[in-house]
Amino acid sequence: MRLRLKGGRVLDPAHGENGVASGTVRDIEIEDGRVVATTDLTADAEYDLGGAVVMAGGIDLHSHIAGGKMNLARLLMQEDRRAFPEMPGNFCGCGGGRAVPTAHATGCRYAELGYTTVFEPAMVGANARGAHLEMADIPNLDTGAYLVLGNDDYFQRLLAAGAGQEQVNAYVGWMIEATQAFAIKIVNPGGINAFKFNARKMDLDEANPHYGVTPRKVLTTLIRAVTELGIPHPIHLHGCNLGVPGNDDTTLATILAAEGRRLHLTHLQFHSYGTEGDKRFSSSAARIAEMVNANPNISVDVGQVMFGQTVTASADYMSQYRNRGLASPKKSIGMDIELDAACGVVPFEYTDKSFVNALQWAIGLELFLLVEDPWRIFLTTDHPNGGPFTTYPHLIRLLMDRDFRNAQLATLNKAAQAHTLLAQITREYSLEEVAILTRAAPARILGLTDKGHLGPGAVADIAVHVEDADREAMFSTTHMVFKNGRLIVKDGVVVELAQGTTHVARPEFDRAVDKDMQLWFDESVGLKSKHFRIADGELRGGAGPTILKCEGVAS
Amino acid sequence: MAEVQTIHDVACGFCGLGCGDLTVEVEGRDVRAKGSLCPEAARLLRRLDTPDPMARVAGEVASPADAARAAHQILAAARAPLIGGLGVDMAGAGAAVDLAIRFGGVLDHYASDGLFRNYAAVQRTGWLSTTLAEVRNRCDVLLVVGDDPTATWGRLFERLYPVTPLFADQGRTVVFLGGAPGDKAKGQLAGAAEVIHHATPDPVAVLEALGSLIAGRRPPGENFGGIGADTLAGLAEDLRNAHYAVVTWNAADLADGDLVAERATALVDTLNVTTRAGVFPLGGRDNIIGVNQLMLWRLGYPLRTAVQGQASSHDGTLYATQAALGDADVLVWVSAFRPEPPPAFGGKIIALAHPDTVFDKEPDVLIPVGTPGVDHAGTVFRMDSIVSLPLGALRVATLPSVAEAVRRIAEG
Repeated sequence: MRLRLKGGRVLDPAHGENGVASGTVRDIEIEDGRVVATTDLTADAEYDLGGAVVMAGGIDLHSHIAGGKMNLARLLMQEDRRAFPEMPGNFCGCGGGRAVPTAHATGCRYAELGYTTVFEPAMVGANARGAHLEMADIPNLDTGAYLVLGNDDYFQRLLAAGAGQEQVNAYVGWMIEATQAFAIKIVNPGGINAFKFNARKMDLDEANPHYGVTPRKVLTTLIRAVTELGIPHPIHLHGCNLGVPGNDDTTLATILAAEGRRLHLTHLQFHSYGTEGDKRFSSSAARIAEMVNANPNISVDVGQVMFGQTVTASADYMSQYRNRGLASPKKSIGMDIELDAACGVVPFEYTDKSFVNALQWAIGLELFLLVEDPWRIFLTTDHPNGGPFTTYPHLIRLLMDRDFRNAQLATLNKAAQAHTLLAQITREYSLEEVAILTRAAPARILGLTDKGHLGPGAVADIAVHVEDADREAMFSTTHMVFKNGRLIVKDGVVVELAQGTTHVARPEFDRAVDKDMQLWFDESVGLKSKHFRIADGELRGGAGPTILKCEGVAS
Repeated sequence: MAEVQTIHDVACGFCGLGCGDLTVEVEGRDVRAKGSLCPEAARLLRRLDTPDPMARVAGEVASPADAARAAHQILAAARAPLIGGLGVDMAGAGAAVDLAIRFGGVLDHYASDGLFRNYAAVQRTGWLSTTLAEVRNRCDVLLVVGDDPTATWGRLFERLYPVTPLFADQGRTVVFLGGAPGDKAKGQLAGAAEVIHHATPDPVAVLEALGSLIAGRRPPGENFGGIGADTLAGLAEDLRNAHYAVVTWNAADLADGDLVAERATALVDTLNVTTRAGVFPLGGRDNIIGVNQLMLWRLGYPLRTAVQGQASSHDGTLYATQAALGDADVLVWVSAFRPEPPPAFGGKIIALAHPDTVFDKEPDVLIPVGTPGVDHAGTVFRMDSIVSLPLGALRVATLPSVAEAVRRIAEG
């Protein structure tokens, strides 16, 4: 099967190609789902792009799309489902919801925005099988999941006993394989565990009440483990003290704690709060962006707050419990999970008249605009925690259009306006930078060599946008989306459903750990380790995962 | 004669507790479980080497293809199908949802009363809950509300009270609030926990008073649900002093299970202000939790949801099996785990049923199906909605799975 996309302006930052700036148009050829060098051969189908902008399919490296906490959110927020019923032209009557859309709606809405790969950033090991079943029901997207580690009693116990790094590496390798994970996420390092022992906060150097282990130790040990196992994506960190005014110091200390090793700080906006001003809540975006700029080992995603109703779902039960008083509507769920992790689900309505919410919005944008290297910052709302992913086109316009941004800012809470330097920032993102943030850079930080670009060999996940000075309009309606070379979206509407794959990382590790894992599961968890493990055939309806081999130093 | 094959670490998907350490002997098509197992697992895993029943249409033996075609025709003509029972593994649940999308229909599980009593609390206020391994290792005071749950979950206290918990090793207490613990429960708890029993016919009143006492308010009265105020004050003190208190109940077994869930939720909320605690609601029979999970991610709604005209709507009262039967013209009864018969119904019945099912009235179409974890592999969720288990096949399947049977019906 050979396809030819004719006459597009190709925007492929991974190869330094910018057809938008140069005005050059060219063809892209696809054979059997992959981009190939152009030929003179007859194509089975040709699409005339008429100079539209062609990019690789979007990659979201942090969006909560599957797992038990999302179902708890659906259960708790039935009003979200009822308010956003099935879209017209739906295929199966199973789409709906905005803050917590169904699997079907998730796949369709993302595809309509030109996204073709999305990573679930907080899969709990105990719930991994369920998360994978749910991901298999998401159409149009390739997926993958980061395993939440560091708060589990097995790991805390290892550290408390002074286990060597080799033992830790073997455990991490075993867990990644057993849960079919792609990377390691740490959520509030050690804090979720400490909350089970009734600690209510946890700073970077505070000892766990039971194990005596500090978050710093959790972080540095796991950074070393993923490095030595050769996992492509660095530790994906949701740091200590989420949402607490004054957490800026913790964030800066966390960057230093990495000691130059690669570290990804996720939803940085929620970790960039100072205590200045009469409300004791202020932006530290400038301080933190400066530190990010100075440390090339650090990458970040923003977790931008977008106004409106949403529901927050996080493994950080400690923080979610602390914030449950802010729930709107007034209800929330919390759960301790299986000596493993936890979760908290708290509905939120971010309003532009609220000082705190308006300043959160501004802090996120400050971070976007003050972090200089577009290869180390990624476009996220921490869906749905800062807002649903369907707000991305609006967010892109805020980044690309200063007048629009300042006009929005002028409508916000007045005190918040006085507390942000946003109005003075002149930077506007270029289309190329947006392509880096949403395609090229996430592919690079995830180690997906055949995605995020349009060179020969790339997976033919392609988004075509008709250029429009109104960038929100441009990114709201994708002209065409191809998934593995099949046209799935035309003029903003899903025309066909594609079945995606699930990316997993497969490191080498010392399999002698298996005996200890069996004992742990038998005696402490009360579950057979063989039943905890997920077989390849359990993924994607029997199709199995797409395996990324890791070339680590551990054996 | 076939050789006896012994299979270890067999996972069990019947009651929702999710035991994974069963030993099963298989001899040809004969299956029997051995060793430490509950009566329900022993009964439901036991299979004799007998021929499978054939599919039937209007009482007459039919080929699988003819039965599927007859079912398809009934559904194609149906105005308001109810897809009930839903004792299915995850693949069967997906197929049932596909069937509802294809032909329209209400989806409910036969054991959903308890789930929806709990939802009265969880959807209104939310709750703070916990899972099996946390209870097993952390819980120092467990409050069991209602009757001894051992009759339904035969190994519950064995699973929750290991010889060496990781943390709760300074004395554990189990307080039965309602019925007295039976010998089996006492046996499983012997040496692991101190057992206390407070008889009461009114656990709601007791939980309410306890909640007030924990919050530091002495409610007016000297007696709550038959228990003296001083006794309750002592219990409140024990709960407040607990490191990790847990409240458990079986809403299906409690007429006012919704109120129990609500009061237990409030009590646990209050405890969490100063210490840690969680609710641990019991349930999970025949993968109801898994079916419910799948519906939440596929349709955005839990069980008791109607799919019509490519849109779905949820109503916990209208779309409950008994109420929905009043409006339905076709009942698709699906029960793969056990021979659960369909409820009385005047309309047409298509049964995708366990081969031992005894029917009061011959179904219009009967398609015997295999059992997940006996005849074919599958996945089921445990009662806590977090952990799921892979069930393996114990013998060569001769009956279709629910997923296969539904696929054939859809194809017609």
